[in-house]
Amino acid sequence: MSHHHDDEFRIYSKEFEDLHKKWDRRQFLTQTTLGLGALALGGLFGKNIPGASPAAMGSLEQDILAALPHFAPKAKRVVYLFMSGGPSQFETFDYKPKLIELAGQNLPDSVRKGQRLTGMSANQSSLPIAPSFYKFNQHGKSQTWVSELLPHTASVVDDLCVVKSIYTEAINHDPAITFFQTGSQLPGRPSIGSWISYGLGTDNENLPSFIVLISKNAQKDQPLYSRLWGNGFLPSQHQGVQFRTGKDPVLFLNNPEGYDGTDRKEMLEYLSKLNTLQNDGYGDPEVVARIAQYEMAYRMQTSVPEVMDIKDEPDEVFELYGKDSRDPGTYAANCLLARKLLEKDVKFIQLYHQGWDQHGSLPSGIAQQCKTTDQATAAFIKDLKRRGLLEDTLVIWGGEFGRTVYTQGKYIADNYGRDHHPRCFTMWMAGAGVKAGFNYGETDDFSYNIVRNPVHVHDFQATLLHLMGIDHERLTFKFQGRKFRLTDVEGHLVKDILA
Amino acid sequence: MNLLDISTYLGHLHPLVVHLPIGFLLLAVIFQIISYWPKWAFLKGAVSIILLLGFISAVFACIFGYLLAGSGDYDYYLVNSHRNSGIFIAVLSGLLYASTLSPISNRFKIPSKVFSILLIALTGIMAYSGHQGAGLTHGTDYLNLQILTKQERVPPPSVDEAFIYEDVVQPIMESKCGSCHQGGKRKGGLSIHQLQSLLKGGKTGPAVVPGNLSESELFRRITLSPTDEKFMPSDGKPALSSGETAIIRWWIEKAMAVEGKKIKDLQETQKIKGLVAYSLKLGESPEDEEGGSDSIAVNPDIPSTVDQIAIESLRKKGVVVRVMLQKPAMLDLTLPSGKGIALNTLSDELGKLAKNTVWLNLAGNNLTEKELNVLPSFSNLEKLRLERNPVSDGIFDLVVGLKHLESINLSETKISKSGLEKLGPSSSVKRVYCWGTGASEVVGDSSGVWVR
Repeated sequence: MSHHHDDEFRIYSKEFEDLHKKWDRRQFLTQTTLGLGALALGGLFGKNIPGASPAAMGSLEQDILAALPHFAPKAKRVVYLFMSGGPSQFETFDYKPKLIELAGQNLPDSVRKGQRLTGMSANQSSLPIAPSFYKFNQHGKSQTWVSELLPHTASVVDDLCVVKSIYTEAINHDPAITFFQTGSQLPGRPSIGSWISYGLGTDNENLPSFIVLISKNAQKDQPLYSRLWGNGFLPSQHQGVQFRTGKDPVLFLNNPEGYDGTDRKEMLEYLSKLNTLQNDGYGDPEVVARIAQYEMAYRMQTSVPEVMDIKDEPDEVFELYGKDSRDPGTYAANCLLARKLLEKDVKFIQLYHQGWDQHGSLPSGIAQQCKTTDQATAAFIKDLKRRGLLEDTLVIWGGEFGRTVYTQGKYIADNYGRDHHPRCFTMWMAGAGVKAGFNYGETDDFSYNIVRNPVHVHDFQATLLHLMGIDHERLTFKFQGRKFRLTDVEGHLVKDILA
Repeated sequence: MNLLDISTYLGHLHPLVVHLPIGFLLLAVIFQIISYWPKWAFLKGAVSIILLLGFISAVFACIFGYLLAGSGDYDYYLVNSHRNSGIFIAVLSGLLYASTLSPISNRFKIPSKVFSILLIALTGIMAYSGHQGAGLTHGTDYLNLQILTKQERVPPPSVDEAFIYEDVVQPIMESKCGSCHQGGKRKGGLSIHQLQSLLKGGKTGPAVVPGNLSESELFRRITLSPTDEKFMPSDGKPALSSGETAIIRWWIEKAMAVEGKKIKDLQETQKIKGLVAYSLKLGESPEDEEGGSDSIAVNPDIPSTVDQIAIESLRKKGVVVRVMLQKPAMLDLTLPSGKGIALNTLSDELGKLAKNTVWLNLAGNNLTEKELNVLPSFSNLEKLRLERNPVSDGIFDLVVGLKHLESINLSETKISKSGLEKLGPSSSVKRVYCWGTGASEVVGDSSGVWVR
């Protein structure tokens, strides 16, 4: 057959070319049984097979996205007030009066049941029980117990759904916070906000659908990493965008000094053309993500200063959120900013407030934390409520784990510390789709074990997605040969707390 | 385009191509034998070329057969044996052809009788292999002498007399699962041909666990979302109807997956009698009683389809259209504040989408009752946002007829407390946001939310 000219064997087909570019080696090997032979045949048959088109390449992802939303959503937006460090349930919401008579006594083994402790308290000779230094009172029609440290939160308690039986699997900060944000203790999975942005897109094309705010007025003893709001293996445009304080709320958004920006749009159009050429040549989805991000950044040059501008807010609003709210970057100012972002229909706002890690001097430490956040948190709920935004916004408050009933170090009534405790802690939700003025779950007298209605982190995540109209089992993304989802292979909807 | 599909496609050619070597090789035997008669002696010369054709086609049949075996879960032993005999036929026909070629036949001379006997043996192996192949596609009991004596099941005269498994469940499974889980085909290791094999199940455990729906893999699979990879029946084969699913559910859950029991001998049959009657063609299709306990109750008046062109047109004009649910088609429309989009330029599209619109946000668009006179056509509206518009009490007259309306946001408008009174006791409205209006004082709470 050697007298045939090589060219006669060349197969030209657009599908063939696209296939060549968009498949990586692994996909190629796993999906062809005949290797190159089949690829050549693919080129031959490609045009005749019904439905064969380059678009079918990503068809798994497209099928999954096309099915969304899975249910009629109750919530249109989510604000997650993340209290990083692990706020103690004992001094906030989980009232345990029986501890008062047991103060200073060793924690019974029947309660601990041999649980492994962290290296910070495992070597203590005794585990003295520490009752809350602060008093509790019942508030609202729901008669919810709230500590005296949270007087403002106590005033909105009838709008909250307090879950006292959250538990996690991790006992240290980084894995625990990563678990809450991504569904896995190991880094690398997409954050909740990224999943939501990926699954539901945006309702305001001028702002990112996933925005991150971090309080500046908190003790930063435990660090936060940008991977906590990272997109993982999802396309890059779904990563959380951090809004900072100061001159540049979003980094690299402003025009460089000495450049007036008048021809920026033109420049971006040319750049987009170049990127499109690059995409046609290589088909790398990250090129598409890059084009989208440049365009978003351009629109944000006007939309961000507009939303960050609080000049027009009346004094009454600043009074409501507290005096900190005039100082950009504080927790109170971030809450106010979050409200403004919600008004612009930003889908997911992740707000972090660090400093809840009181291993020692807990009474003074937690009092300070509460003082910094309580008024603004309650103001945020009130403000959303009166503006009707609580109608379709879900607000979440909570940390990555709870704290131990026993003191770390010596027990002194007004000066004790608490170690990390993953087995039970309190979170609350408010707004769209959850019962208002409702308490759920119950812990034992030591707030050490859950006695009724446990809610795992994955259950919480499944419920959050459900309220946004997503079945947590059906929003998946195939990566490295297997489908991933936020709740991995677990998670059950907590139906009892749904309104 | 998926290359997997090409190998599947070629695999599916196996049952076609496999008949070529059968024909060629049979012809070779026939020519070889009748060439003993002097009258037909000249046919002996054709045997060689026919064997070559038989050999080539047998090789193709083997390749395609190999691809087919990889695409489905056939009975392991049967498919192995069929493959070996197939390869043997290809090799033997190749050797026999080679023996007719002069360079070889000059060296070892195979006696004509031995050649004939080998050819006849080849035919025999071919018949055996063919039977195995047929067993794989049609089931091993397809060609079976018992068929001659088997009695057709007599259809039950009434629902009460019907056997739940034999007359109802088994026929459903045969028609909906049989093509992959019956006879020689046992995808995922599951065969549905008798109750025993259902209880045994397949690779992922028992298909049916009496009384336990959540452990019953079969029920889980048929009730997944049709877009789920694990959904059964797979590959777009016709799914079970909701009635069929309900029957299987009842059979597993309430009837403890029994066999040999008549409906009249079982408990709690009220709910499924109608469905059984329909499946036995003894009655009309009953109304779908089970609405699916997991689904969220959705207003039945919302149309199941939506005008996509109108949606696109609204989006082009700057309106944010959020699809809340695809079936029924529920929309959330937002007219962005401060963009100066006039409502009356959208009336065409809004008219087409009014019944699909469940949430509507017109906040901060400088609207009065005059422009809002389109509201009564939004008959399925549940949430309406009108805050920061110069509307007054007349707005209540526009919304009072909306029988699904749950909440209205009228904060920072010109409404007064007498407006609120227009919402009669029969109104469906549960929350009115009146913060920053004259009506807020009638609400005890500082948030200004009027709640009923």
